[in-house]
Amino acid sequence: MICTKHGAAGAAAASHREVDISSPDAPAELSDATLALRAGDGDTVAFEAVARRHGPLMRVLASRLLGTDAEADDVVQEAFLTAWRRLPDLDEPERLRNWLMRIATNKAIDRLRARHDHDDVDEHERAASPAGAPDRVVEHRLQLDAVWRAVDLLPVDQRRCWLLREIAGWSYADIGEALGLTTSTVRGQLARARRFVLGEMEAWR
Amino acid sequence: MTSPDDALPGDGPPGADLPEGADLIAGDDERDGTDSVDGVSLEELGDYLDRGREPRDPRIEGSPACRLALQALESVGDLSRESFEREAAREPHRDDAWISGLLDQVRREVVEGRPVPVHSPDPLTELSTSEAAVRGLLRRVGDEVDGVVVRSTELDGAIDEPGAPVTVRVTVSARYGLPIDELADQLRDLLGAALDQHTELRVVAVDVHVDDVHLGPDDGSTP
Repeated sequence: MICTKHGAAGAAAASHREVDISSPDAPAELSDATLALRAGDGDTVAFEAVARRHGPLMRVLASRLLGTDAEADDVVQEAFLTAWRRLPDLDEPERLRNWLMRIATNKAIDRLRARHDHDDVDEHERAASPAGAPDRVVEHRLQLDAVWRAVDLLPVDQRRCWLLREIAGWSYADIGEALGLTTSTVRGQLARARRFVLGEMEAWR
Repeated sequence: MTSPDDALPGDGPPGADLPEGADLIAGDDERDGTDSVDGVSLEELGDYLDRGREPRDPRIEGSPACRLALQALESVGDLSRESFEREAAREPHRDDAWISGLLDQVRREVVEGRPVPVHSPDPLTELSTSEAAVRGLLRRVGDEVDGVVVRSTELDGAIDEPGAPVTVRVTVSARYGLPIDELADQLRDLLGAALDQHTELRVVAVDVHVDDVHLGPDDGSTP
């Protein structure tokens, strides 16, 4: 329901572009909880700030899980639409980030399930590893490169277990359910993945 | 799975050369699940770590080699998360296209809520705006109070019936150090006045609830 007529009052209330959160406390400074509550209150500007803050990581996770960037974009988009619809009911706004990551991960898993396979796309489109080592970099930066590459080199089931556990923070049981594996298989896959990643880090050292 | 006493030759006691514990674990994938650190399999170690090291397992915590291995597992997890964060931060400014698409869709889905009567210059014409718009007005007016960020709003009462008593509830975050009582008074006045001016709601109370504080832009850190 919008204004039946453009009286001055109605226009003022209805058509003003929603909140440039005008106080000096700009959106970038606001906590996740405040942004979540505000977005849940209907503020699209706060929602935009949420999407900008958390979208990139959701996309990287989805892209690693799915093995394609194109699908990852769709997943993130769908995840945020779902989030928008559910935000008014979000019980723990301070856990916004985990909640969003969970929605995005679920969307990615749905697609994996629909695909009914374990490795086709994955091997085709492995994203280019970030940046070969430039001349002068700090050790930490090299470590990050090494771990990123190592995760990328994992066999697909191990990688998915790793991503769901280490990046998304899921329980073994949830991972098993999502990937159609038993909990003890998940445990084994994680152990293998961890050994491999550590091995790669060692090789680098 | 090996028994606790079944230490493998290579596992030996932790020496001075194991600063990060990674070489206790790292190795040929073929050995998976069969090797161990001080008699504790890698699966068990990972499981234990993922349970947050609870309940405390003296067999693991009592072994320096196991503690080192846990440290290595933990740090590789941290590095992994950080590498993802870095990758996310690296994304080129591709955001704008998908964000504007997303926002278009979201704006179409804004729930307008109940109609709210507004003043009409012509007594024979009934005007109304939406509950969503009125709540937007409350947020905007509330934000204008220095040091206040509105978190959520609520209109309680039969807002679609002219003259019915309505209670307004707003929850806000206040900048650290500001006097809460004064902020609340100021908010009550401004919000009441704004609703009077723009709507025909009969506001009987404006409840202001301050449930969070944030740091100001000059405080040097984010909340």
